[in-house]
Amino acid sequence: MMAYSEDHIALAAEYALGTLSAEERVQVETMMSVDKDFAAVVEAWERKLGVLNQMVGLVEPRPEVWEKIRVAIGLAGTQEAIVHPEAPQPVAAAAVVAEQPAIDRSTLDRSNVIDFSVQAKRWRGVATGMTAIAAMLVALIAVQAYRPELLPAGLRPKAAQQVVQAPAPVAPPAAAQSQYVALLQTDAASPAFILTVDAATKNFTVRKVGAEPQAGKSYELWIVSDKLQRPRSLGVIGSNDFTSRAALAAYDPDVVNQATYAVTVEPEGGSPTGAATGPIVFTGKLIETVPPAR
Amino acid sequence: MLTPAELVWLLAAVAKGDEAAFERLYAATRAKLFGVVIRILRRQDLAEEVIQEAYVKIWNSAGQFNPGVASPITWMASIARNRAIDVVRKRSETSIEEEPAAMEVAADTPDPLARQEMTEELKRLLECVGRLEPDRQKLVLLAYYNGWSREQLATKFEAPVNTVKTWLRRSMMDIRECLGLT
Repeated sequence: MMAYSEDHIALAAEYALGTLSAEERVQVETMMSVDKDFAAVVEAWERKLGVLNQMVGLVEPRPEVWEKIRVAIGLAGTQEAIVHPEAPQPVAAAAVVAEQPAIDRSTLDRSNVIDFSVQAKRWRGVATGMTAIAAMLVALIAVQAYRPELLPAGLRPKAAQQVVQAPAPVAPPAAAQSQYVALLQTDAASPAFILTVDAATKNFTVRKVGAEPQAGKSYELWIVSDKLQRPRSLGVIGSNDFTSRAALAAYDPDVVNQATYAVTVEPEGGSPTGAATGPIVFTGKLIETVPPAR
Repeated sequence: MLTPAELVWLLAAVAKGDEAAFERLYAATRAKLFGVVIRILRRQDLAEEVIQEAYVKIWNSAGQFNPGVASPITWMASIARNRAIDVVRKRSETSIEEEPAAMEVAADTPDPLARQEMTEELKRLLECVGRLEPDRQKLVLLAYYNGWSREQLATKFEAPVNTVKTWLRRSMMDIRECLGLT
């Protein structure tokens, strides 16, 4: 792979990050299409950053979305009269388009005896011969299927008002929630535990990654903050791969977010005194991984 | 969610035009992809359009997926996210930022902390992001997760756009060095 200037690499990185303007994005996409090596640089960034999506929560789209995808790619089953109140069925949309040329033709050519089969054949010929028009029809069908409100009244598919099926309930949007994550470690190369905190519920989960079990000892997690008089125990961790608790619920969000989290080695079962007795072996601070939507 | 190996297999079947495989692929991945795009678009209707376009593209280009290079979900999420960013950039240029229809959306289920999914790659990346100054961490993550433009970031961080541009560039170069990218 050829060497690219830092400007090029930064452009590729910012494309993957998403911060370029519309114009710059088009520029990058053009460069990618003519320069495979540059495309590889962009795609490498997309893969590196793409792992961040592992932290994004699942949101179910409505069932209508699948129907529209099926229609768009022409999968079997789309000929059935599948009708949703908000999604005009595709056959009806296509029918409206088919009517359109017929109207034009009759205005151009009133004197002709209308022979439906000839007319249909002729329009079929026109459609297959003129890909631009075909593309426009596809676009029109797409608009009718997805955004009928964008069309002039005459081109809108008839709303399927007779349908009684209730629209799929849209999950009420929850308040924007952040997740925080801290790598608890001695050095950058070897995280021992991964602490994740859900901002809304303050539930936390500790995942054991590199920490070795110590015979006759327990790992104990502490929250350390200058807003607290002394480190407070969040309990013993590490006996299982995952430990989930609500022990942060009593703390202020500011304290939770800004605190340092420390792991000490304690006698089996945890510190007998309520204060840390053993050495601090791992520490970390939270970073916000899924910031609020605004 | 299926395992990456199962998704690779499904994508290979989709590349051959296997409709049942495509339906399974959709069922296994739709909530993740929708979660990604709705954070960026913050409108149900736009997010649905983007997700439709993304899956049509996945259907058409499944043969181009290279399992030796990318994980299936990363590849698919990139397609959806790129489309979402394109839409949001074009829209913001016509300044309809504060549409009343815009709504707050967020994950309805904070992914069970991505238990099976927190890969070594994510840990490494988070480590590198974590080395940035706190403001830069936030800058990078807001840009990635919410699809914010430089202008939106400039407003949020009360800094000139050009300064934000420099910060973004510096941050990405720092991450690159930390990850050992060439």
